Amino acid sequence: MQAHPTRGDGTGARARALRPVLLLLLLLGALAIPLAGPASAAPKPAHAQAAPAKAASHPTVRVGTEGTYPPFSYVDPKTGQLTGFDIEVVRAVAAKAGWHLTFTKGTFDSLFPALDTGRVDLLADQITINPDRQAHYLFSSPYTYSHGVIVTAADNNDIHSLADLKGRTAAQSQTSNWTQVAKDAGAKIQYVDGLDQAAALIAQGRVDATVNDNIAVLDYLASSGSKKIKVAGNAGDEVSKQALVFRKSSATLRDQADQALAALAKDGTLAKISQKYFGADVTVPNSGKVDVKASDTGRSTWQVLQDTAWPMLRGMLKDTIPLTIISFVFGLAIALAVALARLSTYRILDVPARIYISIIRGTPLLVQLFIVFYGLPEVGVKLPSFLAACLALSLNVGGYAAEIIRAAILSVPRGQFEAATTIGMDPWQSMRRIVLPQAARIAVPPLSNTLLSLVKDTSLASVVLVTELFRVAQVAAAVSTRTMALYCLAALYYWVVCYVISIGQGLLEKRVGRYAA
Amino acid sequence: MTGTAATTGLVEVAGLEKSFGDRQVLRGVDLTVERGTATVLLGPSGSGKTTVLRSLNVLEAPDRGSVRIGDAAVDFSAMPKEKGERRRRIKALRARSGMVFQAHNLFPHMTVLGNLIEGPVQVQGRPRDEAVAEARALLEQVGLAGREDAYPSQLSGGQQQRVGIARALALKPEVLLLDEPTSALDPELVGEVLGVIRALAGEGWTLIIVTHEVRFARDVADQVLFLDGGVIAERGGGEVLTEPREERTKRFLARVLEAG
Repeated sequence: MQAHPTRGDGTGARARALRPVLLLLLLLGALAIPLAGPASAAPKPAHAQAAPAKAASHPTVRVGTEGTYPPFSYVDPKTGQLTGFDIEVVRAVAAKAGWHLTFTKGTFDSLFPALDTGRVDLLADQITINPDRQAHYLFSSPYTYSHGVIVTAADNNDIHSLADLKGRTAAQSQTSNWTQVAKDAGAKIQYVDGLDQAAALIAQGRVDATVNDNIAVLDYLASSGSKKIKVAGNAGDEVSKQALVFRKSSATLRDQADQALAALAKDGTLAKISQKYFGADVTVPNSGKVDVKASDTGRSTWQVLQDTAWPMLRGMLKDTIPLTIISFVFGLAIALAVALARLSTYRILDVPARIYISIIRGTPLLVQLFIVFYGLPEVGVKLPSFLAACLALSLNVGGYAAEIIRAAILSVPRGQFEAATTIGMDPWQSMRRIVLPQAARIAVPPLSNTLLSLVKDTSLASVVLVTELFRVAQVAAAVSTRTMALYCLAALYYWVVCYVISIGQGLLEKRVGRYAA
Repeated sequence: MTGTAATTGLVEVAGLEKSFGDRQVLRGVDLTVERGTATVLLGPSGSGKTTVLRSLNVLEAPDRGSVRIGDAAVDFSAMPKEKGERRRRIKALRARSGMVFQAHNLFPHMTVLGNLIEGPVQVQGRPRDEAVAEARALLEQVGLAGREDAYPSQLSGGQQQRVGIARALALKPEVLLLDEPTSALDPELVGEVLGVIRALAGEGWTLIIVTHEVRFARDVADQVLFLDGGVIAERGGGEVLTEPREERTKRFLARVLEAG
């Protein structure tokens, strides 16, 4: 009877149970290394800096673009492919320069951070050259000459020029050059993700105006057929120039682009692309009257929904659901370790656990996502979009679920622990075999809530360039302007997933609670 | 282990002291229990009887004094510095006793059979088949044959406590500790549990029982220990219950019998 094949025993103090937690934390740490390790050391597409050395080969160049800014950068609803004026230009440049291209889509405000942190090598998104940006980035020679216009509601007769914007509210993307124009004119700024959102706010009477590129606005009007907004006037006389954007360190890539653009101008390719989209050559100054054909015409709302249903489902299966599952599994593992650390009498475990929980619950998930994706690269940890989203969401789930699990463990009567001790169990065995199975029953309903929240929180992953379900809806809405219908469809998809989970919750409650009277 | 055992008692307790905060609940308790006998611990609430019982398997760690059961001994006044060694000794002492709780403390998420084989299989590492066969025999012994697959919540209070007794016996302890095993039961269920304990005493199990059931105590007790204020105020055979010498024993018995 003395030779029980178990490890050391405690003296009955419940606290001793938590020594093995150290082990678990170490284990989790070990798990985290392969997670972060290969990600930061992953074979990256050739960097701009690497280009000179391999000038002869075909470097892979990663392009950042919105994909929601027709007719410059959008997803063709017929083919599901990324296309548009800027996309065709950068493809032509790549063909001349011998680049192999990959595209990353993100909101406009995520493009410059993505360039900064080396996630993309150049931006092709009708980005206007201005002194501020020139101080931080390299621009190619311009491939579009345009001017800004002011957009208002159709029945607004008060705004005709920049001067009239003083004291009014304008909807703008945070990092757009047009935002500065509107600000300089004295407008209050309401920040939005893109032109389509700005137009919706104007039509709904929530803001007074937006300032944007002439061509983009004409495209929006043609695509949406909207009679609720109009071009109210020019935003100044200045001609703005748009170009490809590179990091300061990518002079070689930039020079290759300039050579290619010059050649494309000379052989008429640029003019041809421009004519196709605008009926005029906007690649040179004074193009004359631009005639925008709608990038999306004549589809009924039903047709738009049909065309988008599959891409949205794919976004759900490829990103939303895997993100949810992976983040929940890792989140629960973190939560269990943190809950046990919180219950420990060792301050060295308890205090860090408290701090972690406080940080996670005290800061917005959106901020956590930005820190993981855009902040960590500054200390040398560069995770790809999907992994970054997984990490941020796992940490978030971990913080919330830790308190649920801690409360569930505390709700198991002390006598259970004592009974386990008297049959000879060591604290770790008692926790694993006696306490945790009973805590599980109590924790299932609140943890299901956490899971349901997580499903919906994955929509925030679009800010770190994951093209999940909701981002697909946004992309489709940008071209078709059927915002309401598309977002309702997205809501339906989320609801279905959550409904399935709540059925699973019912089954699980039955299973873990089968012993309860 | 300490090699100072002069008597032949199976259980030897000497100089046990324990304080909770500044309240001293044990002020030097000595007792000996012979193998195959039943010892009853009596005393008013707060007298320290439950603490004595819980010291025997170190659910409460005494501040001073020593406990020996069979060949496993722990001297709490002179614990080894090394943590691992301390744990080994406590573990060895614990393995000598089985515990029956007032509130049975069965594992609600396991079946009756699961409760019985958990210790033998998970802790003692014995083959499952063997543990199951023994568990069935034990259930038969406590009158619960055929209830292997029930969950504790599906049993009556008396049945639950009988499973609690069987669970403690499944580990083949040298002494069975029972902490007010019938106090939480409805009056009509007390009899079935006392019947099982009586039978164990008859079979020669060594029992140490904290109880208020004076009549039952009279029946089974080979030794009666009356605790008051953290010391053993009176000790003897069954006559302590019928003809107590100490005034406080008399008062206590009068109160208990009046209430019963």
